[in-house]
Amino acid sequence: MFLALAEMRRAKVRFGLLIGAIALLVFLILFQQSLQNGLLTSFVGGIRNQDAPVLVYSVDGQRTVQGSVITPDLEALVRGTDGVGEVGRWSQGTFTVVTGGETRMTGGGGPGEDAVDASIIGFDTEGLGTPSDVVDGRLPTAAGEAIASDADAATGFAVGDVIRVLPGGFEIEIVGLARDVQLNASPTMYVPYDTYLDVIAAVNPDAGTPLPSVLTVRPADGVSDAEVSTAINDRSLELDALPRETAADETPGVAQVRQSFQIIFLLYALVIPCVTGLFFLIITFQKAGALTLLRAIGAPAHRLVSALMIQAALIVTAGFALGTLLYLPVSQQRLGGIPLRFETAAVVLWAGVLTVLALGSALISARRVLAIDPVEATTGTGVGR
Amino acid sequence: MTIPSPPTAVHFDTALHLEPALHLDDVRKVYPMGDAEVVALASANLTVGSDEMVALVGPSGSGKTTLCSIAGGILSATAGRITVGGQDITGFSDKELTSFRQESVGFVFQAVNLVPFLTARENLIVVDELGRRTGAPARERADQLLEELGLADRAKNLPSQLSGGQRQRVAIGRALMNEPDLVLFDEPTSALDTELGEQVMELIRSEMKSRGTAAIVVTHDERITHFCDRSVHIIDGHLDA
Ligand SMILES: Nc1ncnc2c1ncn2[C@@H]1O[C@H](COP(=O)(O)OP(=O)(O)OP(=O)(O)O)[C@@H](O)[C@H]1O
Ligand SMILES: [Mg+2]
Repeated sequence: MFLALAEMRRAKVRFGLLIGAIALLVFLILFQQSLQNGLLTSFVGGIRNQDAPVLVYSVDGQRTVQGSVITPDLEALVRGTDGVGEVGRWSQGTFTVVTGGETRMTGGGGPGEDAVDASIIGFDTEGLGTPSDVVDGRLPTAAGEAIASDADAATGFAVGDVIRVLPGGFEIEIVGLARDVQLNASPTMYVPYDTYLDVIAAVNPDAGTPLPSVLTVRPADGVSDAEVSTAINDRSLELDALPRETAADETPGVAQVRQSFQIIFLLYALVIPCVTGLFFLIITFQKAGALTLLRAIGAPAHRLVSALMIQAALIVTAGFALGTLLYLPVSQQRLGGIPLRFETAAVVLWAGVLTVLALGSALISARRVLAIDPVEATTGTGVGR
Repeated sequence: MTIPSPPTAVHFDTALHLEPALHLDDVRKVYPMGDAEVVALASANLTVGSDEMVALVGPSGSGKTTLCSIAGGILSATAGRITVGGQDITGFSDKELTSFRQESVGFVFQAVNLVPFLTARENLIVVDELGRRTGAPARERADQLLEELGLADRAKNLPSQLSGGQRQRVAIGRALMNEPDLVLFDEPTSALDTELGEQVMELIRSEMKSRGTAAIVVTHDERITHFCDRSVHIIDGHLDA
């Protein structure tokens, strides 16, 4: 400890720079971790955080809610499948909506109003395809009510806000907010099924009654989500039933996003030990004379190695703490509509990974220290003589 | 300046009840050089009394550093027996030699002597920190040594902020930190001018004599041998006592 701290005190700039470099890398890692999770949540949060255990798509829909259409024949097949408990309808459409209407009014966009694309999801059974974590207000019950994602509250989708759907100007009032229920990275509202049909009719009076996009299924008692999914899929080649988490993960694009980020994380996991390993190797070479002297006057090699490991541990701890501190305020921000979060699990995971990597990389220098022959102190040329 | 008394047999008699500080018995050191061999030390026999100061004089390459390294447990001999303060270190393992160096000998090396990122005081304390770890007593001892060596006001200076003579004095203090049986000085004055060299030798003598510690002082300068109790000459690895 004595040696490790004394050296760090005398070379503050050098060790400070290393801590700074690690802090920056830690910040970037954690920031990207938040970005990845935020991106995926805004993409499929609406699937992951609704309360139906199983979603049934049509195969043609390729596992997207937008592309899936359930014909009456398919619906009848699902309802008739053994092991199916409850079945609900779930329809989704993308609409142009205007926010900023505090009071009910009619007509085109007024002052202070913004036209945005939003997802509207109609559900016909409460508890089967409704948001699972209501954080403000309540679930919609009456016609013209909606619950929105808390991520969109600041952009005109807070409780009490009124949204108008264009064209037609159908009005929806937000009566509740749920955590992380965005779909397709756009503002998302859940409305009762009849309201959904009213919206369609208002936007396009000639459209007729739309078919449901997806069926939401709760298995019968004693039947698992996987079992009921298999049973439904066995009924028809055109049915694609997936448990909730699988449905979220299998949404096209999710795997690609994950993979891209994993490559980035892998690169960071390589850069960090390179930076720390090289740093300690350089300073070990630079102070080889002093280390040889200490060995010659009777310092056991393992004590010099522990001084090195203490330094590595202190530096990775300080770097990680500083990086997390930088990340803290940034993790509370929104990035272009994607809400970021402080990812505690990622912080803990990376703290462990980086400590192992940094200490592991310092072991290369430890080998150098162990290889020192004290006899060189009797001949070596002057360092700090 | 004290004029050292010439070495006499009396010296050994007075120290009879104590083990000699160093006893080399037919010690040989051979370095392999390709197919040939370099004999750095040929059958060296030397006894240093428990509080005796011996000057080891010889030209460059004669084996002075080799002898000190073997006596101090830094280098192992090719053959022969080495006893330091009654301890036979001949067959010691690397680990045993490390703790022997830590506890029983003091070194002032020819070249590297101080840790550049430690202050004068820390360069003394580090001996305890990487060894016995006694803490407060060691800090007191360091302060006392720095005081004796006239470095009390330089305690917080880094080696780079000290003069050559001051650095050499810190090295002497460092060599005395572990209360050694034997201190090995390898050319302690070679980098200093004559006057400073004599001051440092004077200091070495008074430190050794006040503690009754034995020492070997390596030099190729005959002028400073009179600070020691006796001189031993070495030429091409051969000692003449
Ligand atoms: N590691 C080694 N390998 C081969 N030969 C060596 C080695 N170390 C020392 N020698 C040789 O052993 C002999 C004695 O060397 P030593 O360093 O003991 O001399 P010295 O008397 O201390 O010289 P100087 O006054 O220049 O310091 C020299 O001939 C030297 O070249
Ligand atoms: Mg030499």
